[in-house]
Amino acid sequence: MADSTPMTMVEPVETGGGASFWQDARHRLWKNKLAVFGLAVISVLAVLCFTAFLFPNITGYSYEQQDLVLGPAPPSHAHWLGTDPLGRDLLTRLLYGGGISLSVGLCATAVSLIIGVIYGAIAGFAGGKLDMLMMRFVDILYALPFVIFVILLMVFLGQNIFLLFVAIGAVSWLTMARIVRGQVMAIKRQEFVEAAHALGLRRGRIIFRHIVPNLLGPIIVYATLTMPEVILLESFLSFLGLGVQPPHSSWGVLIKEGAEVMEEYPWLLLYPGFVMALTLFSLNFLGDGLRDALDVRGSKD
Amino acid sequence: MALLNVENLRTAFHTRNGVVRAVQDVSFQLERGETLGIVGESGSGKSVTCYSIMGLVPQPPGRIESGRALFGDVDLLACSHRQLNRIRGRRISMIFQDAMTSLNPFLRIGEQLIEPLLIHEKITRTAATDRALAMLDEAGISDAEHRLKMYPHEFSGGMRQRVMIAMALITKPDLLIADEPTTALDVTVQAQILELIRKMQKELGMAVILVSHDLGIVSGFCDRVMVMYAGRVMESAPTDDLFYDTKHPYTRGLRQSIPALQMKGTELHTIPGQPPDPHHPPPGCPFAPRCSHAVDYCAKEEIKLLDVAPKHGSACLRVQKENLLV
Amino acid sequence: MLRFITRRFLETIPVLFIIATATFFMMRLTPGGPFDSEKQVSPEIRARMEAHYGLDKPLFQQYLLQMKHLLQGDLGPSFKYPGRSVNEIIADSFPVSLELGCEALVVALVFGLAAGMVASLKQNSAWDHIPMGLAMIGICVPTFVLGPLLISAFALHLDWFNAAGWYFPRDRVLPALTLGAYYAAYIARLCRGGFLEVLNQDYIRTARAKGAGGAQVLFKHALRGGILPVVSFLGPTVAGVLTGSFVVETIFGIPGLGRFFVTAAFNRDYFMVMGSVLFYACFVMACNLVADVVLVWLNPKMRFE
Repeated sequence: MADSTPMTMVEPVETGGGASFWQDARHRLWKNKLAVFGLAVISVLAVLCFTAFLFPNITGYSYEQQDLVLGPAPPSHAHWLGTDPLGRDLLTRLLYGGGISLSVGLCATAVSLIIGVIYGAIAGFAGGKLDMLMMRFVDILYALPFVIFVILLMVFLGQNIFLLFVAIGAVSWLTMARIVRGQVMAIKRQEFVEAAHALGLRRGRIIFRHIVPNLLGPIIVYATLTMPEVILLESFLSFLGLGVQPPHSSWGVLIKEGAEVMEEYPWLLLYPGFVMALTLFSLNFLGDGLRDALDVRGSKD
Repeated sequence: MALLNVENLRTAFHTRNGVVRAVQDVSFQLERGETLGIVGESGSGKSVTCYSIMGLVPQPPGRIESGRALFGDVDLLACSHRQLNRIRGRRISMIFQDAMTSLNPFLRIGEQLIEPLLIHEKITRTAATDRALAMLDEAGISDAEHRLKMYPHEFSGGMRQRVMIAMALITKPDLLIADEPTTALDVTVQAQILELIRKMQKELGMAVILVSHDLGIVSGFCDRVMVMYAGRVMESAPTDDLFYDTKHPYTRGLRQSIPALQMKGTELHTIPGQPPDPHHPPPGCPFAPRCSHAVDYCAKEEIKLLDVAPKHGSACLRVQKENLLV
Repeated sequence: MLRFITRRFLETIPVLFIIATATFFMMRLTPGGPFDSEKQVSPEIRARMEAHYGLDKPLFQQYLLQMKHLLQGDLGPSFKYPGRSVNEIIADSFPVSLELGCEALVVALVFGLAAGMVASLKQNSAWDHIPMGLAMIGICVPTFVLGPLLISAFALHLDWFNAAGWYFPRDRVLPALTLGAYYAAYIARLCRGGFLEVLNQDYIRTARAKGAGGAQVLFKHALRGGILPVVSFLGPTVAGVLTGSFVVETIFGIPGLGRFFVTAAFNRDYFMVMGSVLFYACFVMACNLVADVVLVWLNPKMRFE
C-alpha cells in the first residue's frame, strides 16, 4: 500500500558558512601559534636585514669599517653586539650578512623551485616511460652526496655569489621535483578532473582552475622548508671558505670567524649562531604550520 | 542475569569545530546467546556505541562522558586497562567492516591468528598454530596450512573477512560484536559470511551484536533489533514485532525504503531530508524535522526510550503519549 | 629480489663513469693548478713536476689515461703528500670517517627513535612537545655552531674531554654527538610522524580489540609500519653523515677522509679529489642499495613486485 504522506517542510541543514580551501587554511595557520611566531620573526628579520643591506650605513657603521684601535670588544653602548678582532661592528655585519644569507636563500630556493616544478610537472603529466626515466635519474642523483658536488662546483666556479646560489639551487631541486610529480599524478587521477572534462571544460581551464591550486599548496610548503636547508648549505660553504668571501659577511662567515676566536670572544660566535638558529627555527615552524594548514589529510585533532 | 547491560551511555567527540554527541543516553541489555541487531544510518552512533563498550574510542578527541557497560560484574567503562585487556579478545571479540585495513599488512596471517591465544591462554606456539589451522578450516578456508604463511593482501575480500572471524572466535568468546561485517563485500559473499557467523554462534553458544545500516540483513539474522538515529535509540524490539508492529516513524521509513520490498516500477521511497548536523543538534526529537507525524511538542521535549508494549521500546513522543499508529 | 640488486649494480656503472668524467673536467678546467701555491719554484722546476705527473700532456689524453688507471683500481699519487698514493691515504683515513659516522648514526638512531616513539604515544603532552622542541633545535643549530659550543662547554670549561684529536675513546664522544644531533632530530620527527600515522590505522584498533597491551601494540604491530619513513630517510642519510663529517673533522681535528677531500679540492690535488669522489660515490650508492633492500624486505606488499 503506497503511503501518500504529505511532504513536510524540511529545514535546510545549517552549515557553518562555507569557507574556501584557502580561507580554511589561513584560519588553521593563524591558530598555530608557533607558525605565526615563525612568520613574525622572519618578517622582522627580513626587514631589518634587507634594510641594512640596501642602506649600508644605516647603523652608523659600514660592514667593513675597521677600528683597529678598539679591536675586539664585548657589547657596549657604541657597539650593541660588540666588535670583532678588526674592530668591525658585529651588529652591522650581522644584519648585512643576514641580507646576503637571506638573499642567497631566496634565490637558491627560487632556482630549485623553478627547476623542480618544471621537471616534476613534466614527469607527472607525461607518465609512462618518460616519467620512469626522469624519476630514475632523480633517484640516482638523490643517492649521491651532493655536498661533494657543491664543493667541487664552488671550487670550479670561483667565489661568485651569483653562481653560488645557482649551484645550491641546482642541487636542491630533487625533493621539489618528486613532490610536484607526486601531486600531479595524484591530481591527474582524481575524479574531479575527469568530471570537469566530462562537463566539457577546456584543457587550459582544467589546468588553471583545478590542477594548479592543488599544486600551489605543496609547492609553498616545500619552498618554505627548502629555504632553511639552503641557508644552512650556504653557511656551511662559507664556513669552509668556499662561499661568501671576506670582507663581505654572511652568517656562515661570521660563524666561522666566531668559532676561531670562540674562547676569548664568545659573543662573536653566539650572536650569529643564535640569529641563524632563530631564522631556521622560524622558517621550519612556518613551513610545518603551512603543511598542517594546507594538507587536509595530515591534520589530526 | 544479562550478559551485557549497557546503561545510559554517553560518548562525545571534542573536535575543533565543536562537540559532537555521538552517543546519547543509550541503554540496552543482551542475554547469553542472544543476537542483537543495531541499525542506523551513517552517523547514527551505532559503531561508536560498540567502540565505547570495547574501549576503542580514541580518547582524545573522544570521551565517554557517562554510563555503565556491565559485562558480568565488570563495568567495562570504569575498569582498569589490564582488566579490559583481559576481557577484550577473550570474552568479547570484535570484527570490523574493512578486513583489508583491519588486518596488519606487515604480519603473516598465522601470526595474527594465534595472537589472541598467545595473549590470553598459556599455550605453546605449536599448539596455538594447530588451533589456528582448525579454526581456518571451520571458517571455510581451504588449504589452511599454506594460508597461514601468507599476508593479508594475498587474500580476497571474502576470505579476509573469514580470517577476521576466525581470529575473533579462536578464543571462544561469550560475545561477538560485528561492525558492518558484510558492507564491503559482494552480495553472494555477504550471505556466506552471515552463515558462517550464525554457524559459529550455534556452536559456541555466544551472543552476537550485529551492527548494520541494512535493515534487511538484520531482519534475517537477529532476535532483537535496536534502531538508532542521531546518537539515540529510537526503537528497540524483537525482530518480528519491529517489522509487523512498528512503533516509530523512523523505523517505518527505514522499512519502507528497503528496495527489495518495493514494487517494481514505482519510484523508490526515501525519507525526505537529511540527518541533523552533529555539531548543532536541534532541540527535542532529532527526527522531528523529517517526520510526517511531527507536532509542535516534538521539537521541544527531550525524548526518552520507554516501553510502549511488552519488551518493545520506542522513543517517539507521540507514540508514548497518544499511542499514535505509525 | 636478486634482479633488483643486479639491476642496481648495473646502473651504478654508467653513473660512476659520468661522475668520474665530470669530476675530471671540472678539476682540470678550474683555474689554478696543484703547484701554484708551492713556495717560489722556478718555472722550469714547475714544468718538470708537471711533466712527472703527466700534466703536460693534452687534456684528452690525460683523461683516457686517468680512465685506464681507474679501471685498474689505481687512484694515482697525491700531490700534497708526495710519496703517498691516493689509495693509501683513503685506506688510512676512511676508517676514521667511517668510525665517526657509525658512532654518530648510533647516537642518532638511539635518541631519535626513542624520542619519536615516546612522542607519538603521548601525543600533545609534555613528552611530545619537549623532545620535538629539542629536535627542532637540533635541526636548526648547524654542526659548526654546535661543535664549538660543545667544545667550549664540555672540553674547555668542564674539562671532561679533549678539545680535539682522535686518540682516546673519550675523544669520540663530542664529535659523535655533534654530528649525530642533526640526524637524531630528523629521525625523531620522522619516527613520530610515521608512528602517529600507523597508530591511527584500523589494524592497530584490531590489535587492541584482541587485548594486546601497549608495548605489544607498539613493538609488534606499529613498529614495522612506523619506522618505514625512517628507513627511507636512512639511505641518503648515511651519505649525509659521512659528508657532514667534513665540518666535524675540521673542527675536532680528526684525520678523516672528509678533511682530506676538502683540502685536496682547495689545493687542486687532482688525483686525490677524483679518488675521494669516486670512493664516496660508490660507498653511498652501496648504502642506498642496502637501505632500499631493507625497505622492500620490511614491506611485504613490495616484495612481490
